[in-house]
Amino acid sequence: MAQSLTHGETALPADWRDLFALTKPRVMSLVVFTALCGLLAAPGQVHPVLAFSSILAIALGAGASGALNQWYEAGLDARMKRTAGRPLPAGRLDPQTALQFGVGLAAFSLFLMLFASNWQATLLLAASILFYVFVYTMWLKPRTPQNIVIGGAAGAFPPLIGWVAATGSVAPLPVLLFLLIFLWTPPHFWALALFVRSDYAAAGIPMMPVVAGEKSTRRQILAYALIMAAAAIAPWPLGYAGALYGWVAVVLSALFVLLSLQVGTRTAREGDAMTPEKRLFAFSIAYLFVLFGAVVADHWWPL
Amino acid sequence: MTDPTPDAPEPFDEAEYRRRQRSRANLMAVLLFALALLFFFITIAKMTVLK
Repeated sequence: MAQSLTHGETALPADWRDLFALTKPRVMSLVVFTALCGLLAAPGQVHPVLAFSSILAIALGAGASGALNQWYEAGLDARMKRTAGRPLPAGRLDPQTALQFGVGLAAFSLFLMLFASNWQATLLLAASILFYVFVYTMWLKPRTPQNIVIGGAAGAFPPLIGWVAATGSVAPLPVLLFLLIFLWTPPHFWALALFVRSDYAAAGIPMMPVVAGEKSTRRQILAYALIMAAAAIAPWPLGYAGALYGWVAVVLSALFVLLSLQVGTRTAREGDAMTPEKRLFAFSIAYLFVLFGAVVADHWWPL
Repeated sequence: MTDPTPDAPEPFDEAEYRRRQRSRANLMAVLLFALALLFFFITIAKMTVLK
């Protein structure tokens, strides 16, 4: 567990920048964007203030999940180069403050969602926070290499919550978007895990490359990329999205599969720069942003 | 080089303590004001939607 930043008997109050960093702002940006797309692609109109408040509630819920994740994993983070500079392992924040901040933020995000939207969206938001903290962070991550496969569901909730916040009910399109993020998560994280493998191994986290080896991980990245591409294109032939979305999905998914093919068929040597893996990781983020943008564009300007 | 007195408490930085306390208090004031505004506008928006 991280040491608290104390001077003698008195702890320094946490700096707000460290509390902000606890919410994993970069992850939150993707969550906010996919949730917003889910909300904007839903049929009917939502009052802008209610839409803003719902998205804010989802962002705060994601921030709370990130804070609770960092609170629980402070010890692990200290052992990884990539995460050792975070506020808790670096000793800039004490664990008690982080825990209180995370729980408080989670409770507030649910209250805000209930006040601005409906109980269905609130229930989904609560489920996603609890799933991320208890199922992914505490249960799956330290135990199984399938951690991010099942845990990916937590990150797949936002577009579904956005849609439900706007309509009060679930429909096939947001379920397909949920499925898309769920299937996108393994190739995205395993591409990262391939080039920070030693970090995960040092922390004792059973990520796929650490447990099953590189070759198996590369094969699985390719397999998941193929299934994900099918799920990404599916809304078009099924009639839940138009040609604009369909063509964007076809082109981007083909590129995703191509980059995954490069990763899936190569063998890294000692001191390898891991360029294809880094390229796939970076592209996977852009892929999700553009694809979700296309969902909204297709809803507003159908071809 | 090793620390000659590793268990001795570090000198307490009163100025840094006050600076952080003040910056957090200011931020809290802004956030509370923003929340009051947000809740006001949510209430108005819900009344408009209900009409």
